[in-house]
Amino acid sequence: MNILHQAAEEIRRICPCADFKLVLMHNHEDNINIRNGEIEKMLHASATSLAMNLLIDGRDGFFYTNNTQPEALRQFIRNAAETTRMLEPDESRTLADPTCYYKGGGPDLRNFDATLSTVDPAEKLRLAQQNNREGMQLCPNLISFQTHYSDRQHQAHYLISNGFQGTEQCSRCTLTSIATADGKDGQHPADGWGETRIFLTDLPREGIASVAIDRTLRKIGSRPTRSGQYQMILESPIVGSFLQPILNAMNGQQVHGKMSFLSSKLHQRVLSPMVSIVDDPLIPGTRGACYFDYDGVATQRRSLFTEGVLDTFFIDTIFAKKMCMKPTTQGTHHLIMQSGDKTLHQLLSEARKAILVTDFNGGNCDPTTGNFSYGIEGLLVQDGQIVQPVSGMNITGNILDVWQRVSALGNDFDPWETELLPSVVFDDVSFGGL
Amino acid sequence: MPRDISISNTVLFPLSQEELHNILSTALSRGGEYADIFLEDTRISSLELQDGTVSQAQQLMLYGAGIRVVDGTQTGYAYTMDLSPEAMHQAARFAGSLPGNGSAIAMPALRPTPILTPETPMLEPDASKDILLTINRRAHEISPLVVRVKATIAQRMQTVQFVCSEGTGFADRRPRTTLFISVVLQKEGKTQMGFGSRMYQQGAEFITPELTEELLQEAIRQALFLFDARQIEGGEMPVVLAAGSSGILMHEAIGHAFEADFIRTGESIFSGKLGQRICDSHITIVDDGTQPCDAGMLRYDDEGTPGQRTVLVDKGILASYLHDRISARHFGVQSTGNGRRESFRHMPLPRMRSTYMCAGDATEEDIIRSVKRGIFAQTFTNGQVQIGAGDFTFFMKKGWLIEDGRLTTPLRDMNIIGNGPQALQHISMVAGNLRIDHSAGMCGKGGQRVGVSQGLPTVLVDKLVVG
Repeated sequence: MNILHQAAEEIRRICPCADFKLVLMHNHEDNINIRNGEIEKMLHASATSLAMNLLIDGRDGFFYTNNTQPEALRQFIRNAAETTRMLEPDESRTLADPTCYYKGGGPDLRNFDATLSTVDPAEKLRLAQQNNREGMQLCPNLISFQTHYSDRQHQAHYLISNGFQGTEQCSRCTLTSIATADGKDGQHPADGWGETRIFLTDLPREGIASVAIDRTLRKIGSRPTRSGQYQMILESPIVGSFLQPILNAMNGQQVHGKMSFLSSKLHQRVLSPMVSIVDDPLIPGTRGACYFDYDGVATQRRSLFTEGVLDTFFIDTIFAKKMCMKPTTQGTHHLIMQSGDKTLHQLLSEARKAILVTDFNGGNCDPTTGNFSYGIEGLLVQDGQIVQPVSGMNITGNILDVWQRVSALGNDFDPWETELLPSVVFDDVSFGGL
Repeated sequence: MPRDISISNTVLFPLSQEELHNILSTALSRGGEYADIFLEDTRISSLELQDGTVSQAQQLMLYGAGIRVVDGTQTGYAYTMDLSPEAMHQAARFAGSLPGNGSAIAMPALRPTPILTPETPMLEPDASKDILLTINRRAHEISPLVVRVKATIAQRMQTVQFVCSEGTGFADRRPRTTLFISVVLQKEGKTQMGFGSRMYQQGAEFITPELTEELLQEAIRQALFLFDARQIEGGEMPVVLAAGSSGILMHEAIGHAFEADFIRTGESIFSGKLGQRICDSHITIVDDGTQPCDAGMLRYDDEGTPGQRTVLVDKGILASYLHDRISARHFGVQSTGNGRRESFRHMPLPRMRSTYMCAGDATEEDIIRSVKRGIFAQTFTNGQVQIGAGDFTFFMKKGWLIEDGRLTTPLRDMNIIGNGPQALQHISMVAGNLRIDHSAGMCGKGGQRVGVSQGLPTVLVDKLVVG
């Protein structure tokens, strides 16, 4: 915290009329990689860095440094002031309204494991080794079985010149297994599975390896199938990737810059009526929980889509002024999509001609039109049965058109993720293959 | 090859050769075959134009050291922003905490590390601002359909010093400058975006009025093209890849699968194929770290290996993989100088530099004329590969339908999918017009991004899946 106050003092000394936002971050990380029983990599680090927005007479610059020694900090702030002064003024660039700031007093969000930086590294190594042994024993014929363990603690202390001070913190630990098999035709299919928790004591010690191996082995022999219209069943872990272009298009900067296919669609039905999504950062014990955003503005539960109707854009303080709208939020923290009542297995058993998409492989979505094309891999389903693994195929279309054709939702979201999205069934999606 | 010019022996970091030697000794005090220290001081500044004004600036400073210990294929790594001897020794102790044979190894004295490159002056903010405002003005002059212009000039100066337990090292300054322009056009109620960029490892002297005009015209032409372009019914068909940015084929279909960490672990589909014929004899593919000012140029890589040119495929024969120190030692060969890292916070990995196919002897016109129905793919934005399967994807932003040897319908926003080994085998014609694409291209791998470039002459791939 001394660094924050030193920086604040230096700013006031060099440019007494400036406003500023200072964020001092402390991060700690550990990474362990084990392959085929051997430790391959171990990384350990702690880092401190300072991010700063400096506002001088309507001019706004962003600056970042990880050299917080006193003399380096002074030079950093001097350079920042000089750079900011040469910008052109933009009256929309101000700090947030102080009445919107988080006032404190909320209960513990239970999203920070303080032990991650103090627990004996040997314990983390044992956890990773146990997972790797499990995988090697389950399937000794694999080309490669990898285990990744990683954890991260993040703390950020905020000091904003018009009256905000606050601290946010979060942590996560992840255990991932990746298997590579000897497939047909010389291919080496690979897949993985991981689990993430806030607290190390909650991280599953078993079961991850077997899921990774199952997912890999079912890819053996994958090949493209015929081009055509299919039902697309998007598996829960990747639904977020297919939703992301829509979330990006809700960004205030994109909307204001006429680079969004949602620009003129606020309060219109743009998705299927089956789709309702909220963002709720105030649920303790969830990874996205936080009381305030990067502007210091208090977060709140917010509806993004109600039965397919677009309820809001992501408008921060700056773009609220540019767009003459009320600020909402800078982005999502903890997404929750309303679920259906069927398991993935039930969704598959009801499919007549479908492809269960399990991963994307490249592609893009045009932010101004919503036209997309993505590489996919997955499983071909006919009459409720999985008949072959598929790869080397594309899906194309317009992202809003496809999201309007949701016909079923699963109930299989992962409660430990920051996006609670179930598997989703889309009708009549165009697949390109043979 | 690196320039062995001793410009100055000015100490870039507050650690003497003796202190660095002691830190390496600490790192190896519990065993290990090799250790290195990578010190970095990077400054990045960018100015952005939006809504007709230059109202956004960013400056980032990264300062610290990464310490690595290698024992066979095991790596221990730690980084610190505190370059005091105490903090460095603590980081070295962690890096050396891999299970090892417990005995320290003897180290030679460290040779001096002269700085290879003089300081490159960065473009002053006022000068950057003038360029950006000119871009804005010219964009509206060129086309009345332009409703929004965004342009960024970003400058990076990375100063590094590297020492290792073999007694060798280097120090270098690595400037990198990027110019990015995007335009949004509106016509008859529809909106399209076009963009253009250049990235070089040099100061901003390449940003001339001629270049900015060229990029603007490129961006506006692209947006105008997209108004009339459409997507077609997908499927498997011949694809003519235009010279230049189609080099993404080299990067995704070939390059990643040749990175030797994937070969060592058996994950790559090209594992075990060294010396075998993998494509026609008229194809030679190179990964090059010696092209002056190229995004992939390295006087030394991030492990102290001199920059070099590596022939990956020599007239159809798989001739080399892309090695860092670890894979080179594993395979009993010399490193090819491909050990790269995003910053001191990252361990080096085998990464590409400038990857391209050498020119052939056909002409682009002959290649297009030879296609009954297919795609002429001109501009790409991104790509991805599944290393083990060899399946790659790249996203075609702009192209043409070919019908009876002629370009007919403008196309946009289509994915091209294939399999690396199969695509190589299906390249049946190679033109003589090799072009390296110097757009701002960053390659992501293992959570790290590094600058790269790629190139291709116009080629015909007999079949790829398009959708």
